[in-house]
Amino acid sequence: MKIRVGLSIAILMAFLISVPFFATDYWITLLTLILIFTVYASGWNLFSGLTGYTNFGLAWFIGVSGYVSSLLIADYHWLWLLAWPIGALFTGLVSIGVGYILLRIKGVYFAISMVALTEGTRELFGTEYLTPLTHGGKGVPFVAGIRLPTLYWSILLLAFITLILCYKIFSSKFGLRLIAIREDEQAAETLGIHTTKDKIIAFILSAFLVGLAGSIHFTYQNYIDPTFAFNIQLTLTPIVMALFGGVGTVFGPVIGATLFTFIHEILWAELTLLYMAIFGAILMGLILFFPQGLLGWMKEKGILPRSRKI
Amino acid sequence: MEPILRIDDVVKKFGEVMALDHCSFDIQAGTITGLIGPNGAGKTTLFNLITGVLQPDQGHVYLGGEEITGKKPHEIAWRGVGRTYQIIRIFPKMTLLENLMVVGKGKERRMMERATDLLRLVRLEEKKNDYASDLSFGQQKLLSLAQVLMLDPQLILLDEPAAGINPTLQNELMALIHRLNEDGKTFIIVEHDMNVIMNHCQNAIALNYGQKIAEGSCSVIQRDERLLEHYFGR
Amino acid sequence: MTNFIEILIRGLMLGSVYALVGMGLTLVWGVVGIVNIAHGEFVMLGAYFTFWAFSLLHLNPLVSVAFSIPVFFYGGMLIHKRITERLIKEQELSALILTFGMSILIWNLAQFFWTNTYRSVSYLTGNFPFMGIVLARSKTVSFALAVGITAVLFLFLKYSKLGKGIRATSQNSEVALVCGINTVKMRAITFGMGIALGGAAGAIVSLQWVIFPQMGGTYISKAFAIVVLGGLGNIQGALVGGLIIGVLESLVTQYLSAKMAQIIPSLTILIILLLRPTGLFKK
Repeated sequence: MKIRVGLSIAILMAFLISVPFFATDYWITLLTLILIFTVYASGWNLFSGLTGYTNFGLAWFIGVSGYVSSLLIADYHWLWLLAWPIGALFTGLVSIGVGYILLRIKGVYFAISMVALTEGTRELFGTEYLTPLTHGGKGVPFVAGIRLPTLYWSILLLAFITLILCYKIFSSKFGLRLIAIREDEQAAETLGIHTTKDKIIAFILSAFLVGLAGSIHFTYQNYIDPTFAFNIQLTLTPIVMALFGGVGTVFGPVIGATLFTFIHEILWAELTLLYMAIFGAILMGLILFFPQGLLGWMKEKGILPRSRKI
Repeated sequence: MEPILRIDDVVKKFGEVMALDHCSFDIQAGTITGLIGPNGAGKTTLFNLITGVLQPDQGHVYLGGEEITGKKPHEIAWRGVGRTYQIIRIFPKMTLLENLMVVGKGKERRMMERATDLLRLVRLEEKKNDYASDLSFGQQKLLSLAQVLMLDPQLILLDEPAAGINPTLQNELMALIHRLNEDGKTFIIVEHDMNVIMNHCQNAIALNYGQKIAEGSCSVIQRDERLLEHYFGR
Repeated sequence: MTNFIEILIRGLMLGSVYALVGMGLTLVWGVVGIVNIAHGEFVMLGAYFTFWAFSLLHLNPLVSVAFSIPVFFYGGMLIHKRITERLIKEQELSALILTFGMSILIWNLAQFFWTNTYRSVSYLTGNFPFMGIVLARSKTVSFALAVGITAVLFLFLKYSKLGKGIRATSQNSEVALVCGINTVKMRAITFGMGIALGGAAGAIVSLQWVIFPQMGGTYISKAFAIVVLGGLGNIQGALVGGLIIGVLESLVTQYLSAKMAQIIPSLTILIILLLRPTGLFKK
């Protein structure tokens, strides 16, 4: 059984790696976006899906890392290979502080504080005071000297690593402790679980992975500005993807990301103006009728084993 | 001999309300002590203070001679204090085995063995891969105790362990507690059922309005006038 | 010095409208237990309601303000019965995500049907002098309306049977149930009231500012700051919080910049949640 799974994965990866050799730019681009959002959704799920702390500030990770990397490339002429990880590392480091401060706040308030952080940072980046650093809200167009296939392979690698990480964590004791935090944080504490430490580690991990994908995302767009970088849609879309696939499952976010990117492509072409409205309606429908997501539903019905590893 | 637990002039206020009012007492190792008093007397607050969930406004808490006032709950747990809750707090979406494994520190295999042993102790071994939410009320109480035992604590605080379960299960539970006590574990048990206190505890401490109003061996308490007055309004 | 007083008064006038929005949000959050992220969208709808009534029916905007209250009240109750009541037993976060989706749905539909063109209601124009300062007519009338509605709200909550029921449900819904208060009905009514406050605020806003589909966004972030400042479910706190936010905005805009003023809501939320999470005022 394990060999069959391993072989299937190997074949899939071989296929994905070879895509730039035979596909058109359109398809490479589409896959790139799917992979970027896979990391966003999985990264969100890694923290929020397990600990239950709904992170409404995903765009903050993306924006901060995106800005650091993009500015390093645009203004200081760094190579993308260095700029990306530095951006992600910076985000991870700052997240230690942010996590330590904000993760004391529970439930809805935590969600709100992360939104406030994102909104506040966006406004801050747009003010005159930070102009020397951030170009004061004006967009920064830039070129990173990277070809599409290379970008694609980078995000493919990141997505692969992210999924393996998720798989390992979900089936580990660390993952179990995070779930305990979600189930009953105080009881977990009196049972000897160092909840603050575990929460922050998961938070930083999420920040790093999502940030790295964000850096890649903005290099792909060749443009960054505060509205773009700290856009609530960058928080919302991955959450919807994770919700659709199944929050708290390993592969739910991937499925959600893939399906939604395809749906986006179709809807965008046909119904541009109503696209977001439909999105909002889908989100409402998911929460009301389908909160466990596709994989969650399949596990409930017994179509899939109830293992945490999936 | 150094008491395993010392509560030293502890005060805890919630706004205007004095939940604990200069409370002091010692608990000797190896004893089973009952903690009694009407609702709101401060019993659960005391538990919260001992386990580090709350910090006292004044006073100190000592565990085996060392001060634990102000320490975090997880630190205190690993120093040897286990605690169950009045309303059962296990992890419903995890299996029984996972409920125990999540507590342990150390090598996976050893923890797995320990967890299985403890499940056997509380007679829930066959259900080890069931979800905790599938258990009955009484079984959940046993699971909760097993979780605490994963810490291998020296001091165990039980908040109304006998409440809401049938007499047979009650006896089973109390027998288990006595066995553990014989192995050297110290217990503090909050209970409203005076029979449980009288039949199973060596000592008792009575609280009311945050103050300790009586302390001593159970037979003495039984005859204490003030206590009877507070409890039965005589 | 006169300049400072002028800024203060402007801030209070601004804040009075913000307070209406904030009180609506905190009412629903505290009593019904639902964090309505779409609340800002009802402000937007209230503004459009007034605009369309004015342009198509030539209805006096002040009348629209009055009409908006029952319209949005019943609309809100309907939305609650069909949609949000289903999530009462769930975690707060489910409602958060649901209303998030609703918010997106509403303003995008508004954008689709009414386009992004800026609209306005030119009814009250011009300024008039008052005690040495110059006040805009539209803002003054808005202030008066906001004060009026707030007064009615407070009287209602304090003296009416329904109001007492709402306060009881907000403090302890189980006890309220036992006392024979129909909590389901109470929640629906409260939700309706919250939406009505939002819609009325929007109607008032239409007298002063431009109207466009995404305008709800600024109001919701200010509303959150107000709720956090005043304490969850604390209506008086929301009133004061609204005024504070208004005054802060006025001061910062004058002495720093309009852009810096945009940061106030976010900063307020973060600071309060970290330092005094229960809000500035005792319930």
